[in-house]
Amino acid sequence: MSRHFRQAAGRAACVAATLLPAAAAHAHSAAKGIGDFYAGALHPLTSLEHLLAFLAFGILAGQQGQKAEPVLAAFCLALLIGATASLWMPGLPWLALVNIGSSVAFGGLIAAARPLPQPFFYALAVLFGFSHGFANGEGMAEGGKPYLFIPGIALAGLVVTAYGLITTDWLLRRKAGWIRIAVRVAGSWIAAIGILVLAVAGRTLSG
Amino acid sequence: MPGTRNGGFNSIRHVVALAALLAFPMIASAHIGQGDIGGGFISGIAHPVFGLDHVVAMVAVGIWGAQLGAPAIWALPVTFPLVMAFGGVLGGLGIPIPGIEIGIAVSAIVLGGMILFAARPPLWVAAVLVGIFAIFHGYAHGAELPDSANAIAYAVGFVVATGTLHALGILIGVANRWRRGAQALRAGGALIAAVGVYFLSAHAIG
Repeated sequence: MSRHFRQAAGRAACVAATLLPAAAAHAHSAAKGIGDFYAGALHPLTSLEHLLAFLAFGILAGQQGQKAEPVLAAFCLALLIGATASLWMPGLPWLALVNIGSSVAFGGLIAAARPLPQPFFYALAVLFGFSHGFANGEGMAEGGKPYLFIPGIALAGLVVTAYGLITTDWLLRRKAGWIRIAVRVAGSWIAAIGILVLAVAGRTLSG
Repeated sequence: MPGTRNGGFNSIRHVVALAALLAFPMIASAHIGQGDIGGGFISGIAHPVFGLDHVVAMVAVGIWGAQLGAPAIWALPVTFPLVMAFGGVLGGLGIPIPGIEIGIAVSAIVLGGMILFAARPPLWVAAVLVGIFAIFHGYAHGAELPDSANAIAYAVGFVVATGTLHALGILIGVANRWRRGAQALRAGGALIAAVGVYFLSAHAIG
């Protein structure tokens, strides 16, 4: 089951990775009318606050092992739902802080390297998937086609998190003991980046 | 890969590869979209690298960790960035801590001294000591964080640079495996302490 998922996710990631650069280049000519799909996919990929959190979630999922794979799917589903919700619900000014906070949470959990209770892991994935989806959905240009833009966001989320999962899983299967530490160090760096950004945001908010 | 556990040169190669790997995606993404990301990243990298007092202390932390060996050498790179980021929050919020610059100079003197005498205090003493210095260093950086839209790129560059300086110290610390290398490290500790004395006297004089 999980093996199939991993293979499928890997294949999807490979296909998407090979398609994306070419597709982005052709978005304005060959594939007329579906440019919003690529706009949606590029939105999280070109903004570090989303990219960092997606990557961190993927690494965390890879570190947690097999039970993490359905959680990764839940994260991408929450991205879809969050982006859809942003079409109707008014924007929240502090949502960016929640999204930076997700990097702190994911990075801190990677650094701790402890097995997470499954319900807690699901709750994290759904909460932060929703908040990232919402923020990306808000980024759609006026007159954009949400039925193209939103799947683009979710696909980008799937590609980045699946890359993180597969790479981390592969690395942790190596024998060398320092790799486990290196993964934790990466988590520590991600959390530190998030904390520093929160410090700047906090200073800006407090005037 | 067999033999990676105990091969000194292999682990050096791995650390370098890892550093390159971690730095690369950030550099690549700097060219996509928003033009100011690159500038924020570069100034984030530059900030810790171009302050000699910081460089010396970060490298010293890595070398001392290597002298102390496991588990200190592994606990250090995981916890240091987090504690330093905490100091960065204090600095970013403008919470007053007196004598930051003096604390930073003293940190180079103390860490250099620890390396010079190859001191092996209990792990918690080393952790508290390094933790206090981490807060000082983080505070100084946090107080100077730019108020710009590319704060994330800045933070990425900043943390990558700091972590790479630790890795550099740990790499240098590999020399501790050989008798001559260990002696060279202790001499380096004296040099680090001397740099600390220079900065301390520079602040004391004015």
